[in-house]
Amino acid sequence: MPPTAAIDSLFIDELTAATRDVFKTMVFQDLEAASPTSEDALKPGANVVGTVAFAGKTVGLVVFYSTLDAAQAITASMLGVEPASVNGELHDAIGELTNMIAGSFRTRMAHAKGETWAISVPTVTVGSDFYTKYVSDVQRVLCPFRMNKAELYVELIVTRSATQ
Amino acid sequence: MRFLIVDDSSTMRRIIINTLNKLGHQDVAEAGNGKEGLDRLSAGPVDVIITDWNMPEMSGIDFIRTVRSMPEIKDTPVLMVTTNAAKDDIVEALKAGVNSYVVKPFTPDTMKEKIEAVLAR
Repeated sequence: MPPTAAIDSLFIDELTAATRDVFKTMVFQDLEAASPTSEDALKPGANVVGTVAFAGKTVGLVVFYSTLDAAQAITASMLGVEPASVNGELHDAIGELTNMIAGSFRTRMAHAKGETWAISVPTVTVGSDFYTKYVSDVQRVLCPFRMNKAELYVELIVTRSATQ
Repeated sequence: MRFLIVDDSSTMRRIIINTLNKLGHQDVAEAGNGKEGLDRLSAGPVDVIITDWNMPEMSGIDFIRTVRSMPEIKDTPVLMVTTNAAKDDIVEALKAGVNSYVVKPFTPDTMKEKIEAVLAR
């Protein structure tokens, strides 16, 4: 069984397309996508984590991971300023970025599967030496991207799917 | 020409302000939610309102409904910028009094076109 078989490939394709679209239009960067993985041991090295929950027939989370440097570059590009001048804007920018990825993913899934989801407000965590552990039984797939030299990740976590 | 941007994201407000500045519009007021937007409007009318939908305290929809109920500002053109893209959402926004609608994410050209269309009304 391929590692990403647990989650419908349509979800992965639409999340990947949504992420690339948000970066192209709002960050002015073309993302290079790598193969998604659902290996349990994989924990993306990240200092900045943005999370948006969604709920409908399918319930879950969209999670964005990046390093602090990459998050500063993303914030600067969104705001139209130099990365060195980014100060307190990072949390809001990454929250808005995650919100747009989840929102675009929701729209795409509504078109593709007719599912209507509500999405939460974004939360952003900034720090080091931490990872997120989910205590309930979930399906996860991690989608890696490259923005110039920086590695970014978007994870889809499904806690209940329409087929369950 | 004076604009009011109502959005709880300072990033999104900055992105919209950057677009307005590129179009030659420098007079822009900001508010973090619908309630703050009404406070700004009580200080004086604006020519165009650009608002988000999902915000704390007072949503964009409730804000627009309130604006449309106030005789002195009820005809102010309103552009809504949101991730809510379902047909039902757009219908609800139009019924509340939105004049034009932009779905996030958007290109600078799309935002420019929508702003120009609202101004041409």
